[in-house]
Order: sequence, then C-alpha cells, then structure tokens
Amino acid sequence: MSKDELEIVGQVIGGNVAGIAIREKNGKNIELGDLLVAEENEGGYLILKVFNLGYGSQIPTEVRELAAGLKLEGYSAGLDFMDPKLRNYTMASVKGILRLDKNSQKIPKVLPTFFSSVRLATKEDLAFLATPPKYPIFLGQVRSGSKILDIDVHLDGESFITHHVLIAATTGRGKSNLVKVLLWSALDARKFGMFVIDAHDEYYGRSGVGLKDHQNAKSSLKYYSPDAPPGANTLVINLKALEPEYFDGIVSFTDAQEDAISAYYRKYKKDWIENIVRGIVIEDLEVTRKTIGVLQRKLRRALGVYEQGGELICDSDIFSLTAGETTADDIVWALEKCQTVVVDTSRLGEEAELLIGSIVASKLFYSYKKSKGKGQLDEKPPVGVVIEEAPRVLAEDKIEQGDNIYSRIAREGRKFKVGLIAITQLASVIPTTILTNMNTKIILGNEMASERAAIMNSAAQDLSDEDRTIASLDKGEAIVSSIFAKFALPIYTPRFEDFVAKRKKNNKDDDFDLSKSRLSVK
Amino acid sequence: MHKFAHISDIHLGAFRDPVIRDLEKQVLSETIEKCIELSVDFVLISGDIFHVGIPDLSVVNDSIRIFRKLQEAKIPLYAIYGSHDYTPNGTSIIDILETAGILTNVMRARTDDEGYVVLDFFTDPKTGAKITGISARKVGLESKVYEKLDKERLEHEKGFKIFAFHSGITELKPAFLSDMETVPISCFPKGFDYYAGGHIHKKSESDLPGYSKIVFPGPLFTGYGKDIEDTARGVKRGFYVVSFAEKVSEIKFVTIKGFDGEFFEYDATGKNSHEAAKELSHKLGELEVNGKVVIVRLKGELAGGKTSDIDSVELCRKLTSKGAIYVQFNKFSLTTKEYEGNRMGGDDISTIEDNYFRENIGSVKVNQPHLKGREGAESAKELLRILRQQQKIGETKTGYQDRITTSGIETLKISEELGTK
Repeated sequence: MSKDELEIVGQVIGGNVAGIAIREKNGKNIELGDLLVAEENEGGYLILKVFNLGYGSQIPTEVRELAAGLKLEGYSAGLDFMDPKLRNYTMASVKGILRLDKNSQKIPKVLPTFFSSVRLATKEDLAFLATPPKYPIFLGQVRSGSKILDIDVHLDGESFITHHVLIAATTGRGKSNLVKVLLWSALDARKFGMFVIDAHDEYYGRSGVGLKDHQNAKSSLKYYSPDAPPGANTLVINLKALEPEYFDGIVSFTDAQEDAISAYYRKYKKDWIENIVRGIVIEDLEVTRKTIGVLQRKLRRALGVYEQGGELICDSDIFSLTAGETTADDIVWALEKCQTVVVDTSRLGEEAELLIGSIVASKLFYSYKKSKGKGQLDEKPPVGVVIEEAPRVLAEDKIEQGDNIYSRIAREGRKFKVGLIAITQLASVIPTTILTNMNTKIILGNEMASERAAIMNSAAQDLSDEDRTIASLDKGEAIVSSIFAKFALPIYTPRFEDFVAKRKKNNKDDDFDLSKSRLSVK
Repeated sequence: MHKFAHISDIHLGAFRDPVIRDLEKQVLSETIEKCIELSVDFVLISGDIFHVGIPDLSVVNDSIRIFRKLQEAKIPLYAIYGSHDYTPNGTSIIDILETAGILTNVMRARTDDEGYVVLDFFTDPKTGAKITGISARKVGLESKVYEKLDKERLEHEKGFKIFAFHSGITELKPAFLSDMETVPISCFPKGFDYYAGGHIHKKSESDLPGYSKIVFPGPLFTGYGKDIEDTARGVKRGFYVVSFAEKVSEIKFVTIKGFDGEFFEYDATGKNSHEAAKELSHKLGELEVNGKVVIVRLKGELAGGKTSDIDSVELCRKLTSKGAIYVQFNKFSLTTKEYEGNRMGGDDISTIEDNYFRENIGSVKVNQPHLKGREGAESAKELLRILRQQQKIGETKTGYQDRITTSGIETLKISEELGTK
C-alpha cells in the first residue's frame, strides 16, 4: 500500500445518513463516484461513496462576488484571498455503502465518527470482493471515480444468469464491449449455455478479435450465419420446424387468422405452413378466402414462402423447404452442453431476426420446463438468452399485443434455469414488472434523465443519489446493481481487445495464438 | 449431353436372412441393368457398397459378377469409401475391387507442407467430368479432413465438377438423425456442379447458398431395420441419373422396386398381453401378405403381462404360411407396466444402441478425451460393430481373434497404452 493511497483526502464535518458532508483536503481532487474509507475502532471501517460535489467557502457570498468583480474588471490584478486553501474548498456529499469488521459486511446503519478523517479506498479495503464465486462471470474491475483498482469483479454465473440481467446505456458507452467480455468469461467457465442473437455480427470476431479466439472456442462455441465462414454453421431453418407459437409477439395476426392457423396446425401438424400457402381448404373450418389470402401474404413476408405454378418456393436467406430440419434442436442441444451459440442476424430483417430468436428460445424454454416436470432440471446447466434492443419484444406496447417467449422467460424463466440478458438504450419503455424481475442491472453512461430514472427506480439497491454519477459515466465505466451484491458496484470493463491480450499473456500454459485461430483460412 | 448414375449406401451383406440377401442381389442387379439400359457414361457410388469392410466372400463374389456387367458395357464405376467400407486395419474390400479393376476410387488425397489436405481431381475420360471427394473415415476423423481441406484450389478448378462425399451435412441433417455427427456445409468447397452424397439414409435434393445440387439418393435397398421398414411403408428406393453438359441439366430419380411390402403398426396401449396377442393375431390374419415382405411394429404400454407373451415367432409362422416371404417384428416401442426396469427409448436397435451409449458413457472412467462424451459413445458403437463380425470361412480361430482384437484396439486408439504399437 503506497503512502499516497493512505493519505487523508477529507474529513467528516456534518450531514446525515442520506448525505454525509466531507470537506476535501486541498488538492486531493475527490471525484464523483470515488470510494472513500472512514476507519472505525478495532480494525472496522466504513466504505463511503461520493455522490455529489460542491464548493464550500468561509467567505460570505457578497465578498466573493465583489472580489471576483474587482479582479475581472481590472481594479486589482494581484488581489487574492488570505489563506485561500483554508477558506475555500470542495465539499463532497457521500453515503455509507458498506460497513466491515473482522467478521462481517453489513449495510451501514451508523454514521462515521464525527470529524473523522477519510481516505481513498485501496485494493486491500475491497479485498473481500476478490474471492471469485464458484462459477465466476467477470464483468470488469472495481472503479473508484475514474481510478481503476486492481480487483476483478465477478458474479456467480448460475444465479446471475437465471435471475435476468439488464444492460442499459446509450450508444457508444460500451454495451457491446461489456457483452463480449461477459461471453468470453462464460466460455472460460463452460458451466452455462449462452444463446446470443447477434444483430451486428460483432461477437464472433469474423474480421477481428472475437469469441472465436477463445481457447475453448473449438469445443464450446457454435457460430451460425447465413454466410458462414469455414467451419461455422450456415443459419438455415426448415419451415416444418416452425410452430405457430414462435410467431407470438413477432408477427401480428388477427383473431380470425390465429383461429385459422390453429386449425391448420391441428390438422397438418408440421406441414401447416405448406397447406396454408397452397391454399388447401379445411372442411368445416369457417374461414374466408380473404383470411387465407392475408395469411399467405404474411407468411411470404416473414418466411419468403409462396406457391408458383403448383410448386412451393421459399426464397428466404434463412428459411428453407429442404434444409435446416435440426438447426434449432442442434442449438438447444449445444446450449444444454454448456456451449455458447452466436447467431449472426446482421443480414436479416427485424422480423426474421426476432423469429429466429423466438424459435430457439421457445424450444429451450419448453425443453427445460419439461425437464423440471420430470425432475431432471438439476442435470441441466443454466442458460442465458442475450437479446439486443430488448424493447422490440419487451416494450409495454409489444407485450400488450400478446405475450411472447421473451416476456415469458423474464417472468418465469428463473424457475426453469433460463435467464434473459437484455440489452437496451430504452429501459423506460419496458414495464416495471419486467424491469423489477431483472435482478442484475449493469448501468452504463446515460444522459437521458427519464432512462436513468427508470433504471434507478427498479434497481436492487437504492440508487436515488446516483443520478449525476450515472450521467457522468464514461465509456467502459458502469455501476452494477444486483441482488447478489451488497452494494452497487462501480466497475470498469476493459476494452475487449486489451482484455483478450492480457488473458493471452497470462495464460502461459496453453498454445493460445490469435494468428492460429481454428478457423483461419489458408 | 452426358449422364451419370449416382448410387449410394448399397450395404451389401447387411442382412443374414437368405430371402433378403437374394432381394439385395436382385436390386443391385436391376440397378446395374438399368444404368446400362439408360446408357449412362459412368456410375458413381458415394460410399457403403458393402455393409462391412471385409464382407463374406459369397457377397463379394455376387457383387463382382454384377459389377462386371458395367465393365462389359464399357461403363466405368467410380466410388469412394463409406463408413462401412472402412476398416481400422487399412485394407478394405474396396481396395481389392480397385486392384482387380472393378472400380476406381476417386478420392486422391495428399497432405501439403503446411498440413493442408490437397485433393486431386480424377477426370472421366469420356465426358471430361472432374470428380473428387472425401471418403468416410473412422468416427470423428473425416471432419478433421474437412477442416484442413484446401478448398481454394478445388474452387478454382474449371470444368464440370463433381464432389463425392460420405458424410452428413449439418444443415441438411434429417430430424431422425439429429444426433448424428455431421460436417457443416461451410467446410465443403463451393461452386461444384454436383455434390454426390452418401451416408444419409433418406433421399433428398437440396441447395444451400454457394452450393447447388446437394443430392443424397438414400439407401439403394436397405442397411438397417429402419430402411426395410420405410420401404415397406412405401418409401421409394433407387438412384439418380444426372444429365449434364457444361452444367447439370436434369436430375432424375430412378425407382427400383425391391419388393412388395406390407407395414402394419399395432398399438397395444391399455390391453393386457393376452388381449393384445389375440387381437394382433386376428388383425394380422386379415392382411393380404402373399409374396410380400411384412414388417410388424408393436408400440404402446401393455396394461399387464409381459411383452414376450406376444409370441412373435408364432405370428411370424402364421404370416409365412399365408405366403409372406419375410417377416420382421419390431417390439422396441412396446413396454409393459409390470416391467419397471431401465427402458431405453428408440425405434430400432441402432437408435437404442446410440441412446444407451450416450446416456451411459459418463459412467465409464477413462483418461483419454476421445473416449469420453459423444466421440466416446461413437467409438463404443463402432467397437460393438466390430465385435459383431463373425469368423470368415477359412479363417483360423487365432486369425479371427487377432483381427477382432486389432480392429478393436485401433478403434479405441489405445495401442500406446497397451504397448502394442
């Protein structure tokens, strides 16, 4: 521990539990979000977090205004305050976030000793965070203000994933980077399945460093793309593998259309789409030609399937009449084997993208639900479903139109070991009931007050004083609020490329070499 | 305009029953005669000509007699190894047939200095068609060949190109083979005019982006119990005739009718074994089975009694007396409430073996990674196949033991551990 680290940065001079006032020692530059320590008797200490900064002065306002005027207007260029370090200073508003002694860590219910000194928190003060849980998921390192402490932050993957995660931020604050790091960590652990619908084709690393470069990629990473690189799987799904419920919340149907779909599915099972497209009439079914016509158009738009000259044609990039019979089952099988499955949907329209996700998520969810019914769920690993732009399926207006598999997972998934990792810029449009179910929130920078309010109001810890802190979070900086953490953890997630390079350097025992990636093409 | 015949998965010698063996021979003979009648320029077999790498000599003798008709008609026969043609010892009957000039193995592979697998084309002298491909290898190994394949070289070759292979393609895997080890299409070279597939026992013609005309003819006759059952249900068997000049102009499936089949399924759920036996006997008595191959599948859960109370031998005799030429009873999907033992799901022996090995492989404690998990289960299944092989005519007991032992050790890749390398 260096001398600087232990140097006093301020002193408690007043306030109350909601906001303890600290006078900053001159030149110490306490930052918003800094973690401070106020020591107590017998080795105990309080960790405090700075949530606001302001000026303090012993000089009355009128005098300060006059002095500034004199200086600005040129009446007294050399004018200055007497003992300026003593009379003018910075005041920090802090809040106790954790009280530690030799035996316990508790949410503080006391104030630090009046007039006690405070110092910046050190790695040693936060050593209790350094012990990784059984199945760790790495999120970043502890951050105090903008200073990064050398303590890795892990959450236990099993509970973290199954209790749902919300990753909220505006564009450019590091959401994708955080998800890449998180997925890399899941590949390290190989204890969970991760299903990733990759709308921007940015996780696998087709043209740069990505998950493909992980040393476990060969055995534990599956990549599906309509344009698969050598060794990867072509994303293609057979129309016979589609069930009507996969369309819930993705393609809207009227009641009459839904009735018709149910009737065709009952009669023709896996051939229901073909029979609708061919316009085969079901006797006794009260459905108009017009309804079937509209259904045919909707199916053509969603799946690219139509009839021409008596022949069934499917001109979709991903749906097929002949191929892809087992694609969805293969993905679920891989997830159940603790693999990470990345599906590149960057070339697909929104409807097709969501449909692909819905197919796999539904199969997975009902497979796990069935396992629970048979008493076999303990044998299955937790699985996380990563969805970007989550309001497309979780927004209030979408859910009002009808339940979909994502909202079902958000509500019931925890019982069946299936969790949602929802990424969004607009948390405010997600209903509170669902936001509250997201038991871990990783909050990155956000300048929109309404978005900050939505996240803070549903967080696992009281973040009511963190508004300014969240607004000031820089790229890579985040606050993790989780029911699995004693307090809202300020973290910094390293740049993915740096993180991978560091892992590579640390991992001396393996033959990890990015240039010899398994899928490098001659 | 040229044309060639694409055949796969003949599985000669798969059945021991003389009636089925005769049908098998008859189907092959009819197929070859059809090829001659259609004046194809060459015949391409994409693997599994025989059911085992070293089949009975009588089976080999019969097949040579039939294949020689092609020679006489000056129609060359090209082939690659199938998974059943492969022998861990190295020499298979396919090599012997090639040495004897009956067929030409069109997989010509070598490894370059960088460890990439380089395939050379074989050019059919009459049509100029350029053929190459990848034979099946022991479980798990062929995917490694695909991963290291120098595709660029193959893709740049000009002319009419055929790629023969004996593997499942991940994206085209039928649902009933969902557990099968397959190779993603992205491992195949793009831009060939025709992809002549084998190994998948289901007929299909597919296109995938960058890959057109990926064709699996399915089994010519039958390799497993499920094949004969499907044929009895009415699934068409046969081969493809592909017409081409610079590109493929037509792909036509030629049906070969192996036999008249009768498939009968009986659900015994809710009945006791005696009620079920009585009712089944009555229903079978109503079938018209003269001259037919009859497949009877029993399913459901008996309310009482044992599954063996349904005397399949007696029912078989009854059907045979009515003129059935071959009867197969499948009771794998029939269970009883009185039996609470370990039930392993599956419709046929192969599926049950798959399921059994997959579910139990975890309880086998071994250090070798290749003997664990899915690969371990596949190796176990392969070992079982080897252990099923019978002593050949003229083979000494010691020779037989050595052959089986060596094959088993090769399959499990444990020669180093045993110090036999």
